[in-house]
Amino acid sequence: MARALANQPWRKANNQRRFEIFIASLIPLPLVAYISISQQLNPILSFAALFLPMQLIAASIVGYHAYGRRGVGDAVLVVVTFFFSAFVLILLLSVLSSVIIQGSRAISWQFISQNNVYVSPTTSLDYGGVGHAVVGTLIVVAITTIAAVPLGLAMAVYLTQSQSKTRNLVRTFTQALSGLPSVVSGLFILSIIESTHMGRSGFTGALALFPLMLPTVARVAEEALKLVPVDLRYAALALGAPNYRAFFQVILPAAKSGLLTALLLGLARVVGETAPLILTMNPSSSTSLNPFSGGMSTLPTFIYNYLASSYETSQARAWGAALVLLILVGFLFGLARFLGKNKSIKSKASK
Amino acid sequence: MTSLVTSSSLRAENISVWFGERQVLKDVNLVFPANQVTALIGPSGCGKSTFLRTLNRMHELIPSAGLAGAVYLNEQDIYSEAMDAVSVRIKVGMVFQKPNPFPTMSIKENILSGLKLSGRKIKDADELVETSLRRASIWNEVKDRLSDQAISLSGGQQQRLCIARSLAMDPEVLLMDEPCSALDPGSTRRIEETISELAESMSIVIVTHNMQQAQRVSDQTAFFLAEEGMPGGVVEFGSTEQVFNGPIDQRTNDYVNGHFG
Repeated sequence: MARALANQPWRKANNQRRFEIFIASLIPLPLVAYISISQQLNPILSFAALFLPMQLIAASIVGYHAYGRRGVGDAVLVVVTFFFSAFVLILLLSVLSSVIIQGSRAISWQFISQNNVYVSPTTSLDYGGVGHAVVGTLIVVAITTIAAVPLGLAMAVYLTQSQSKTRNLVRTFTQALSGLPSVVSGLFILSIIESTHMGRSGFTGALALFPLMLPTVARVAEEALKLVPVDLRYAALALGAPNYRAFFQVILPAAKSGLLTALLLGLARVVGETAPLILTMNPSSSTSLNPFSGGMSTLPTFIYNYLASSYETSQARAWGAALVLLILVGFLFGLARFLGKNKSIKSKASK
Repeated sequence: MTSLVTSSSLRAENISVWFGERQVLKDVNLVFPANQVTALIGPSGCGKSTFLRTLNRMHELIPSAGLAGAVYLNEQDIYSEAMDAVSVRIKVGMVFQKPNPFPTMSIKENILSGLKLSGRKIKDADELVETSLRRASIWNEVKDRLSDQAISLSGGQQQRLCIARSLAMDPEVLLMDEPCSALDPGSTRRIEETISELAESMSIVIVTHNMQQAQRVSDQTAFFLAEEGMPGGVVEFGSTEQVFNGPIDQRTNDYVNGHFG
C-alpha cells in the first residue's frame, strides 16, 4: 500500500500544503473578531464587510503559492461559493429559528387540536388553539389540489405528447397565468362572489387558489415529462402499444418522481397564500367542516388576523400558528415523498 | 420450445419519403423473402434508417413526415385502411440503435412489457420469459436476477434484452437499426449469432455501417446512396455475395471497398 502511494505520478495536497490551507482558513476569523471588538464595530456589519475580503485574500495567497495565477482563481471561486452557501443556510436557519422560538411559546397539543371559540385577546394561552384553522387549510388546499392536479397533469400531457399547433399558445398562456399576482386572483373571485351573491365560503377560497396552483403544476409536470427520453416512447410504440398504454405504462412511471415534485411545488405555492383567502373567505373561530357555506379560517389568515393585534397573547397565537403551518407543510412533503417511493422493484445495482 | 413459425415475406414498392418539403427517399423497391437476412448499407444520411422505419409505420410518428408507395406484409398493404399501425408493429418488431429497456421495470417485466402494452393475455409468463431470453442468448447471464432493474445490465446485455423483448411478441419480421453500433466486439458477436439463429423463424432487416458484419450475417444486401442535394435511393440490390464480390455499379464497388463514405 505504501509503495503504491510512493509510485503515484500525482499526489493530493501534501501535509505542508494542507497546513497552509488550514492556517489560511483559520486566521481571518479571529482577526475579524479582534478588529470588531477592539474598534467596537457592529459585529454583523464588520463580519460581512471584513470577513469575506480577508478570507479571499488569505485563500488567494495560498492558492498563488501553490499553483500560481490559476490557483488564485480557484481559491476565489471556492471562497465565494462557500460564503454564499453559508449565507443562504444562515438565512434559512434564522427564519426557521425565529418561527420556532416565537411559536413554541404558544404551541402545545391543545393548541393544535382545539378551536378558537370562547377565546378573547386576554384569554391565557392554555385555552384555545388553531385546530379549526388546520382543518380549514386542509379542506381548502385539498379542494384546490383535487381540481388543479389532474387538470395540470392533463395540460402537461397535452403540451408534451400532442403534435397540435395550439400547443405554443397554451404554453404561453400558462406561463402568463403563473405570473398572476395572488391578490388579483382573489379579486377576480371576489367580483364573482359579489355579482352572483353566492356568499363567501371555503369553496370560494379554494376557487381563488386554483389559478395559482394550476400553472405551477402544469409547468413543472411538463418539464418532468419532457425529461423522459423519446426513445422510451418509441420503444413502447414499436412493441405495438397504443398511445395511451405507452403513456400510462412507460412514460408516466418514468416521470413519477418529477410529477411528484410538481404536486409538491403546487402545494407549496398555495398552502401559505394569504391575500386571496382574506378576500374570499370569512374568518371563523369555530371548526367548520362544510366548505360550501359559512366562515372558515385557514392558518395564513389566522396568522394575518392575530399578528395585527396589539395583545401579547394574540401575537403569540399568530407565531404558534406559523409554526403549525411549517409543521403541516413538512408533514405533507414527507407524506408525498413516502407515497412516491418505488417499492415494486429492487433497485440494487448488481455487478 | 422454439416454435418454428412460418415467417412472412415483406415487400416495399416505390417507397418515397418526405420530411416537410424535402424528399429524402425516391422509389425504393426491395423484397425481403421469408427466413432471409437483408442488410441495408450506405453512408450516413442516405435514408437507410428512414426506410427501415417505413416498414413498421414508426415513420409516421415524425410530424412532418410524408410517404408514397406501399409496403406489403404477406401481400397485404400495411398502409391500407384495413391495417392499423398497432397491429403492424405487433407483427413487425424493431430493435433500436441505442438499447432502450424500460428503466422502471425489471428484466422480467421488460420481456413481458410488449404483451402488456399491446393488451394481450400472458399465458405462461415464466416460460415465455425464459424462451425469449434464450433466443436472444442472454438467459444464462440473467436467469438468477430476473427481478433486477433492467438498467443494471451492461450495454450489450441491455441490447440483447431489447431483442428478447421484441422476440417475446413473436414477430414475423424483425427490423434492426444498427443494433451493434454502441457495443463491444464480444457483444456484437453474440448478437450476430443470435441473428443467424432467428433467421430460421423470421425474416430480418438490419441496417449496419459495418461491412464485415453485413457480410457475416446477411443473405442479401441493398446499397443506399444519396447524391449531393438529391433524395436517397437504392443503387444496388442483390445477394450479399454478389454485392460485395462482384458489384455491378462502380459506386457500390467504391463503397464496399472503402474508397468513400
